[in-house]
Amino acid sequence: MSADFTARAGAALADPTLKIAIDRTTITARTKRASAIAAWPEFPLARALGRDIKDHVIAHLDHYLLEFEANAIASGARVHWAETAQQACDITVALCRAADARSVTRSKSMLGEEIGLPHALAQAGIERVETDLAEHIIQLAGERPSHIIWPALHKTREQVGELFAREHHGALPLDTAEQMMASARRELREKFLAADVGISGANFLIADTGAVCTVTNEGNAELTTTPPRLHIVTAGIEKLVPSTAHAMSLLRLLVRSATGAELTQYTSFHRGPRRPGDTDGPTEFHIILVDNGRTRMRAEGLAEMLRCLRCGACLNHCVVFRQIGGHAYGGTYPGPMGAVITPILDGLAASHDLPNACTLNGQCQEVCPVAIPLPTLLRGWRDRSWREGLEPASLRGSLALWRFVARRPALYRAATALALPMMRLFARRGWISAMPLAGGWTRHRDLPAPPARGFMAQYAARQKAARR
Amino acid sequence: MTDARAAILARLAGHRTDQATIAAQAAALLDRVGPTRPDRVRGAPDAVFLQRLASPAIGATGERIATLAELPEAVSRYLAAHALPPLVAVQPHPELAGLAWAGIATHADITPDEAVAVGLAHGGIAETASLVFHSGAHSPTLFAFLPMHHIVALHAHSVRPWLEDHIAADPPRNVNLVTGPSGTTDIEGTLVRGAHGPGHLHVVMIGSNNDADPVAATRPA
Repeated sequence: MSADFTARAGAALADPTLKIAIDRTTITARTKRASAIAAWPEFPLARALGRDIKDHVIAHLDHYLLEFEANAIASGARVHWAETAQQACDITVALCRAADARSVTRSKSMLGEEIGLPHALAQAGIERVETDLAEHIIQLAGERPSHIIWPALHKTREQVGELFAREHHGALPLDTAEQMMASARRELREKFLAADVGISGANFLIADTGAVCTVTNEGNAELTTTPPRLHIVTAGIEKLVPSTAHAMSLLRLLVRSATGAELTQYTSFHRGPRRPGDTDGPTEFHIILVDNGRTRMRAEGLAEMLRCLRCGACLNHCVVFRQIGGHAYGGTYPGPMGAVITPILDGLAASHDLPNACTLNGQCQEVCPVAIPLPTLLRGWRDRSWREGLEPASLRGSLALWRFVARRPALYRAATALALPMMRLFARRGWISAMPLAGGWTRHRDLPAPPARGFMAQYAARQKAARR
Repeated sequence: MTDARAAILARLAGHRTDQATIAAQAAALLDRVGPTRPDRVRGAPDAVFLQRLASPAIGATGERIATLAELPEAVSRYLAAHALPPLVAVQPHPELAGLAWAGIATHADITPDEAVAVGLAHGGIAETASLVFHSGAHSPTLFAFLPMHHIVALHAHSVRPWLEDHIAADPPRNVNLVTGPSGTTDIEGTLVRGAHGPGHLHVVMIGSNNDADPVAATRPA
């Protein structure tokens, strides 16, 4: 493991408040998802359908992009294409400048985070107002998102209360989550209506209508996209679906997997600018279709990852994420899905630790609403990292030593016969809480004590007993 | 950005499938939707809608009146019950403008801190107790998002069973599905009510629709 990841993970593990914050949200999320799925016996069929809808779109992505583009243009939208994050940011900033925009409201979008839009707007001197409560929290705190559904998951309610007391202008009480939300509502109210540009992401792009679907619980997306003169959508090209009906099937999966609700409070389809007779709505509607590695994923064996609906269930169920949280991963996307995507976005050399920070217990694949084989994809990265020589000499050396011993059964058995009783010397009631050379493991959890004799020794003894 | 467009499309181009085959595959996927629907609500769509609406997960309130003419009375009752002044924004819909709003001062422009707005939904969805709004001259989008209390009239005959049942062939600028009052789970994952959108949602069902097909998934019993 490289020093960076080890240091970040170590710092996270040493932070007891972070552990409390992670537990509070992920335990609630797992419980709510489980009861939503339990109340939906049709889930396995729905999941297979969701998987097949996404696979169909990814297989015919060029067809659906062109259909979407034509229908969006017919609705009065303007469609832009960006191969890279930089291009997408440049287009967004140029549109803001052309509209003389001073203030931009933004409705949470992971694609926006992925392409570095907050930074690009700041560089351009454009005021950015994050309207999603969690994004508002981390904007005030000057932090990055730590979860794709709950960007402020790393903060306890007590910490949010302290932050709002310091940063908000009102003198509202801040003891409960309701009061904190009320304070944010008041703080952001006027900013929604004063913005020149509203920027959103897209949960789905509907090919046969040219519409963009967004889902929120707070109502901030519509308040972001309706009052300003411009609505700019930044969307990954994998967000396409053939029709609104296909989107509905995916919505049933997405919302239950994300928050355990059956549908978000607000599910909106935005299609073009203000029309004759409309008394609200943007006068310009722009859609930026962003590749940023997606065509590469499709070409390089990661097409299944393009099914991802960004529900966050794999994060909430990941035993590693639940210990270290999102920031330790170092990329835009944390957890199992992040460990698959980040090597594409940041390069494998900078992120080969992430596919290794995984127990391969398969929970992520089990809860994924579109059945992405995450452990298989993670193993693929491990394999590639090994072949490209990215793993450190210490790891290569120890594995070479292990291989040398493992290929010589007599030596292997002798070594185990020697090691097991030694390990048992450190055990107390079946668990080892400290042992030389095992500090990396035992610092944060106990190691189960091994039996006195290894498998082969026990097997040989049984065979001998059976022959008698 | 013609170059980016050409480059992306070039990387996606593979063996070409003809349009008819792609359309047939997309249609075949939709043929599989019926058996995946959450089939645990049964009855007339409008009755199922009101039942689901009041569930804790949705957290809205509802009532039923016989005709739209009774809406102003229902609004007056709601205002009195919540100790709100008789001052409401009324969605500029002809059906609402024609009502006798005796004792309530109404206006058609909605303000950012509007206390109460009264609207008329385009339709309803029983599966999720969602209201469907179609933007237009008679239905500004912000009516569903700015007020603190949103009172929505809903014709019983416009309530359909499933999410797929209100899909328009040529949708307007905005189609908004509204499912309960606004909320957030952003602090520790727990749902709290009253975010940027309305903190209270009250649905007034107009008439009843006992002749409608009951809600049930399209599958053999």
